[in-house]
Amino acid sequence: MTHTYRELIIGGVLVAPIVSYAATAILIFLLLRPLLHFVGFSRLFSNPSLAELSLYVTMFGLLALLF
Amino acid sequence: MQVNATSTAVEPRPLVFAGLPASSWAFAVRTWLACLLALYASFWLELEAPSSAAITVAILALPTRGQGMEKASFRLLATVIGVAASIAIAGFFSQTDGLLLAVFGVCVGLCAYAAGMLDGNRAYAAALCCITIALIAIQQIDSPQLVFPTGVARGAALAVGVLAVALVNDVLAAPDYHPVLAGRLEALHRRVMNHIEGIFRGEAAAAPTAANLLRDIAAMRPELASLTTESSSGTARTAAARAAMVDLAATLALARALSALPVAPRPVLGLSAQDDSSSGLLAICRTWLRGELIRKNVDVRSSLDALRGGRHPFRQWQAPLYRSRRIAAESGVRAAIHFTLIAMLFVITGWPATELCLSLIAVIIGLSSTAPDPRMFTKVAVVATPIACLLAGILKYFVFNGVSAFQLLAIGLAPVVIGLSLLISLPHRILSSLGRLTLVFTLAVLAPTNPQSYDPQTFVITCLFVCLSSILVFAAQLLIPPLSNDRRLRLLLGETRSELGRLDIQRHHDLAPEEATFRDATRIELIVAAGGGSALNRWALDEAMCCFDEAATLRRCSTELNRLATGPLADVAEAARAALARRNGSAALAAAEALRKTAAQRDLNVDSACAALVLASIAFDPSQSASGSVEKRQP
Repeated sequence: MTHTYRELIIGGVLVAPIVSYAATAILIFLLLRPLLHFVGFSRLFSNPSLAELSLYVTMFGLLALLF
Repeated sequence: MQVNATSTAVEPRPLVFAGLPASSWAFAVRTWLACLLALYASFWLELEAPSSAAITVAILALPTRGQGMEKASFRLLATVIGVAASIAIAGFFSQTDGLLLAVFGVCVGLCAYAAGMLDGNRAYAAALCCITIALIAIQQIDSPQLVFPTGVARGAALAVGVLAVALVNDVLAAPDYHPVLAGRLEALHRRVMNHIEGIFRGEAAAAPTAANLLRDIAAMRPELASLTTESSSGTARTAAARAAMVDLAATLALARALSALPVAPRPVLGLSAQDDSSSGLLAICRTWLRGELIRKNVDVRSSLDALRGGRHPFRQWQAPLYRSRRIAAESGVRAAIHFTLIAMLFVITGWPATELCLSLIAVIIGLSSTAPDPRMFTKVAVVATPIACLLAGILKYFVFNGVSAFQLLAIGLAPVVIGLSLLISLPHRILSSLGRLTLVFTLAVLAPTNPQSYDPQTFVITCLFVCLSSILVFAAQLLIPPLSNDRRLRLLLGETRSELGRLDIQRHHDLAPEEATFRDATRIELIVAAGGGSALNRWALDEAMCCFDEAATLRRCSTELNRLATGPLADVAEAARAALARRNGSAALAAAEALRKTAAQRDLNVDSACAALVLASIAFDPSQSASGSVEKRQP
């Protein structure tokens, strides 16, 4: 089965699915930040910024896979 | 009040290679790798403007991760706004000849005005709106139908550049900014505490010393936003750093108030018969100030601990910025005139293909509006552009010379990008600025594409226009000089005086006294920056610091009297407020005495209000402290 990607249409302009996935993943990541701070996410890793980037890539991949 | 003992600890010497610290070399290598990654991704995605991705990397090349990410977010936001404005301009004013150029001039002026009203990367974002309009709408002045595709191509290249910087910084573990910022705040805290210890020892509390301290504290403000983008704890760290910064400014204001207190009660203000009560009020004031200083010191230490630990501070403050509309408007008008003058010159000469030159002129004017000294920035651009053309020419026709392999591009770019990144990392502001401008212009003139173009005619015309643009902006600034420092100083002092005159003691203020004091500190920063080394500076600084002290005292009184406004001491508080509204020192002192007596009869503690009123009486009548204050007492 082939996965079909839906394009976002803003005022007649087609936006590539990758852009909408990236923007949605950023939005979700920003909403998750207070929770990450609360659980002490940055203290769990030796390179917290890379861990946060990995989390973002995971969310981006899941969005692309599931939607 | 003891200074932190760790301040004297010897720090380990950083690893140095070829005279530069290892951190600078790591930063330079990261910039080179990010540049290569951005170019490789742009070639792979077949983007129309791959050089924009490399230029984005050069612009976002900052030593720490948080700084780069913050600038990147503002760059993306400003690009979106700039593209939207470009589409609107092309839609409404296309093919209107002179009117279109006038609209571009107005846009440049508006962006320069906005840049003058903001600071840090926010000001850069305002300038970038103008730059985006220049690079999209002005470059496509004869083909408005290409404005939208050009905007999309630029946006895509910028996104690739930002992603490349983020990936390289994250994977190669670029250093965090919060330890640097915490170190700087701790150093400032030590300096403030040393200043206060000096006041306790009876040393002179000179206005320039306090003004320089306030300038250094206020200068931290634009850098705090970088912490937010750094990690999930960034928001808490920003709040902690902001609280420490605002409390440091408030501590300095309290220290200034303490230094202005007379050592002994003076037989002035018609109170010679009441020396006992006057002495009592002074003692209350001194005790209260000492208590406040100790409390503030504890607050600053707690905020610094929260900054290190990534926690929210105990108390959160806003850090408002002083904005001078007049200065921003004058700078905006001058920027618009500079652009319009040069555009008119091009119209008169009728040279073909000058849109590239005109767009670069808008870029230089936009960027210079974010610099403290626009003319110095233009001078640096005049030096940087020929160097950039020379480097790009050497790379193109001697190093690459017809090759198109990416590996050779990577090797050829290494010395230029790494060398100029090392220059960027230097602490010297002009050299750093020269390095960044040279790197950006080198990549712009080289314009890496796939396959690489080696047309000598295009290269020569590009070099000519790049050099001409910086020279024309310099000439326009000679003809109509940017706002001079003396003019800035006079405008700032005039605004300071009028704001102090309008300070309403009756009204509940939106800002807490500490926050308003910090806002005044940002104005002192502007005054110190505008003063330079001129003779006017010392006089201006003294007056600015007097206004700073008086405003801080009045706000303190307002807060304390508002607290008493609804209680049993409302009538006495109202009388004190009337004395303050008249700016009458002896009446304020009499009101303080009345307040103390009434409170004593009702067994209430009003030490803070009494202390604030005593300070107000001294601020309104400086002669009271002139012969008896701590600072004047010393030989």
